[in-house]
Amino acid sequence: MILQIKNLFKWVNSGGNRVFLLNDIDFTVNEGEFISIMGPSGSGKTTLLNVIGMLDDFNEGEYAFLNEPVHTLKEKYRANLYKEYIGFVFQSYHLIDELTVYENIETPLLYKKHSASERKALVADMLDRFNIVGKKDLFPSQLSGGQQQLVGIARALVSSPKLILADEPTGNLNSTQGTEIMELFKQLNKEGVTIIQVTHSESNATYGSRTIRLKDGMIVNN
Amino acid sequence: MIRNYFKIAIRNLRKNKLYASINIFGLAIGLTSCMLIGLYIVNELSYDKFNNKANRIVRVTMEYKMSNEINYAATTGTKVGPEFARTFPKIEEYTRTFISTSNVEYGNKLFNEDRILFADPSFFNIFSFNLLQGNAETILDAPNKIVLTESMAKKYFGDENPINKTITVIGKEMIVSGVSEDSPKNSQIKFDFVTQFLNLGNKVKREQWWSANWITYFLLNTGDDITQFEQQINTYMQTDAIRSQAGLEGESYLNYHLQPLLDVHLKSDLAGFEPNGNMTYIYIFIIISLLILLIASANYTNLATAQSTSRSGEIGMRKVMGASKRQVFIQFISESTTITFIAAVLALLLCVLVLPYFNSITGKAFTKLELLQPIPMLLLFLFSVIVSFLAGLYPALVLSGTNVMSVLKKGFRSPGGNGILKKSLIVGQFSISVFLIIYTMVILQQMDFIQNKNLGYNKDHVVVLPISRTMFENFETFKYGLEQISGVQSVTASYETPKFVKWGDGVNVVDENGEHTIDINAMPVDLNFVNTLGMKMAAGRDFIQSDFALMDTTNNSVNYKQPYLINETLAKQIGWSPEEAIGRTIENRASGPVLGVVKDFNFSSLHEPVGPLLMFLGRNFSRNYMVRISDLDVQGTLGHLETLWNERTNSRPFNYHFLDEDYDTLYQTEQRSAILFSVAAGLAVILACLGLFGLAAFTIVQRTKEIGIRKVLGANLSNIILLISKNFLVLVTIAIIIASPFAFFAAKKWLQNFAYRIEPEWSVFIIPVIVTLLVTFLTVGYHSIRAAIVNPIKSLRTE
Repeated sequence: MILQIKNLFKWVNSGGNRVFLLNDIDFTVNEGEFISIMGPSGSGKTTLLNVIGMLDDFNEGEYAFLNEPVHTLKEKYRANLYKEYIGFVFQSYHLIDELTVYENIETPLLYKKHSASERKALVADMLDRFNIVGKKDLFPSQLSGGQQQLVGIARALVSSPKLILADEPTGNLNSTQGTEIMELFKQLNKEGVTIIQVTHSESNATYGSRTIRLKDGMIVNN
Repeated sequence: MIRNYFKIAIRNLRKNKLYASINIFGLAIGLTSCMLIGLYIVNELSYDKFNNKANRIVRVTMEYKMSNEINYAATTGTKVGPEFARTFPKIEEYTRTFISTSNVEYGNKLFNEDRILFADPSFFNIFSFNLLQGNAETILDAPNKIVLTESMAKKYFGDENPINKTITVIGKEMIVSGVSEDSPKNSQIKFDFVTQFLNLGNKVKREQWWSANWITYFLLNTGDDITQFEQQINTYMQTDAIRSQAGLEGESYLNYHLQPLLDVHLKSDLAGFEPNGNMTYIYIFIIISLLILLIASANYTNLATAQSTSRSGEIGMRKVMGASKRQVFIQFISESTTITFIAAVLALLLCVLVLPYFNSITGKAFTKLELLQPIPMLLLFLFSVIVSFLAGLYPALVLSGTNVMSVLKKGFRSPGGNGILKKSLIVGQFSISVFLIIYTMVILQQMDFIQNKNLGYNKDHVVVLPISRTMFENFETFKYGLEQISGVQSVTASYETPKFVKWGDGVNVVDENGEHTIDINAMPVDLNFVNTLGMKMAAGRDFIQSDFALMDTTNNSVNYKQPYLINETLAKQIGWSPEEAIGRTIENRASGPVLGVVKDFNFSSLHEPVGPLLMFLGRNFSRNYMVRISDLDVQGTLGHLETLWNERTNSRPFNYHFLDEDYDTLYQTEQRSAILFSVAAGLAVILACLGLFGLAAFTIVQRTKEIGIRKVLGANLSNIILLISKNFLVLVTIAIIIASPFAFFAAKKWLQNFAYRIEPEWSVFIIPVIVTLLVTFLTVGYHSIRAAIVNPIKSLRTE
């Protein structure tokens, strides 16, 4: 079991009313799963993903990640936890414009105190694996969207996380590129990486082993 | 890791060239001013420190009370040195010093030199002037020995070895006994030649307490207990024997103070061989350079914070990938460090470029090599580090505090972008600028007033020709010769020129109201004095040839009468109207009649009101001819003067200056302040506007969409310009309101140094206000117009 969420609530106060963003969320993710979160706009998919990624906090409930109670952890320890075990992939890639492909992939390692030679080896592995060795000195603006997302995934994987969180990873891509990325995720999942993706597309959801549907912050089926 | 930070810093600079150049340029200017001023201050603080025995050397100054007035002087009588050295074992050596001018002749080389030092033989033992040739013990042990500096040796002897050569100085043949290095520029004693003090002649051979014209230095056995030693000396000065020797009676006294050598330049009120430095000047310098640096730093802070919007994505992403707040903070500090150090390199280049101008403002002679010495370099480094933190701190704090979520949300606005800090910094920058502009305006107006003030005499087109004693024999024929030259209108002579009369004296008057003794300034003058200088008579007349008859020296001078002219102030102090004064008898050197009352003219600096002045007919005191020439063909007339001079005299090279130029040197300090403040004000305005320029550009990028929508809704060009300019103009107006009263009071305070001063007019405020607002408007307007003329379709599409 990689994570377990119990009776989780998140709300904002708006004009005296409590508006629930997440309402009594309750589910478990096991190692090796590939989960798709679906639902209409504003149903809380991204919020849930951010809570899982510990980028956002919640108001009530319990969240255990690798048996660590996240809701009671200190900020710093929590940061160490996601730094160590979670990789993020975004719809709009969020590569750093001023860094080259190589440097973008290297960045997470910089914050983890890897030695220079280790970093070099790990980044080289990634470049190799994704077939982008020839593009390593290019800047993000010189790449196509699909290639940028490839770099984004390489960056998420370079520190070998247990869990990948992907927020509509194909949202900005055309269908061919989208399929390639989804195939890649499937491949990674086979190699043992747990993946949670947020998606709008039913066809993308089929790549997953399980789908969680949200509506108005509540899970409607699991 | 750090390398990664610098890399991204450099790439960001390249991407945002406008901000980068504003920041680098601004910080470079700030650092340049700090470095140059640091150099100046280090030089001031290092004064006399090259002397190995500096902490044991003291300068003796005199405090005395005569006729109810306490006076202070840096000069002392000839007795002070030898008498105290005999009496007090604490004194190891003494030297009395004086610097004078003389002709110096060797072979066919003849020059008039004005840095001839007369000093007692122990001079080179007390002070550490390096000797290149000669032995400090014996170098001055005979009256005919003279020491040259290296550059003088070169000037007179070229490649010859000067040792034991004979050279003519003060009319005597002297033997060169040694060569010293040129006196350092941070020495209070600067000389080209050194010879024995006793060579000054009979007037110094007798030891006396008074006739105090010499500066005396002591070398003590230790530098401790100087205050106690001073008391000991003054107790000695109170003993009856000494009091009667010095002719002290009743309340009168004569005391001495010992000033540690290292305190003389910056802490003493009494100027010695050269005008002292001034701590106030140093403080002003420091404040101005720091203000400029502050303005530049504020630019950095503002522009870097403004960019945080576009950087928030990157930072959020870094945090998602595990960067801690501290690591992001360090990243942005390294960014400001990178910029500052690029600026530092540029500053070094700028220093080299502006060094000559800096030298002319400060009156120093710094060389480029001095910039590369460890101390200035260390200063530059230190300031760079401080600025990196000062300027980078706030942006780094804001940016490192960026929430991780911001990367995931659209429409993030930078927390510091519209903050109170940005506004306060702009207000601060412009307050400083407006303050400096107003203050500078006042200084410039006062300087203009000084230059154009009616002094009571006409200082233009008066040539001053310094003369020496040997020329008295031909005084009259020479004067007649001068008068015959075409272009010369009239000729007179005097001891001092009227630009600054220092001769202090007293006058005795007995009239129906009793006896008056009045302290005055006195001036020995020749015929035609009033006429030549264009002064006006309030009553009576100028001296004429027949007045010499009054000065009857026959029969043991029993009938000797000294003819006098007085000024209006003196007449008023005695209690006479100008008309009443004519023909009255007063006594100064001898009793004699007042022949005329001259309308008051400014004979000292405009810092002082006009005091009582006495002019007596005294041709033999003359040190200068003053020649009024016509303003047509000045060069031709000067040529004729030189020809005549060279025909008639062989004892002195032709040397002239203009009275109005001499007058201007009186206000050199003020001139320097004026230049300094003008430069500072200019820089402050330029830097503040550069910052504004960058911020305006940024604001417009942020508001492109808004502007586009407004245009679609029907806003015209002027609406848009006003929209953008309004905020900035409001801030600048606040700055003006804050700065004006401060500037007004500061300027008033400065003006109080002058007895004759302007009243600051409204224009002093209105012009800076208009200029500042106009410059602001133009700075911001440039971007506004560019934004306003863009087709709205285009700007909306970019979103």
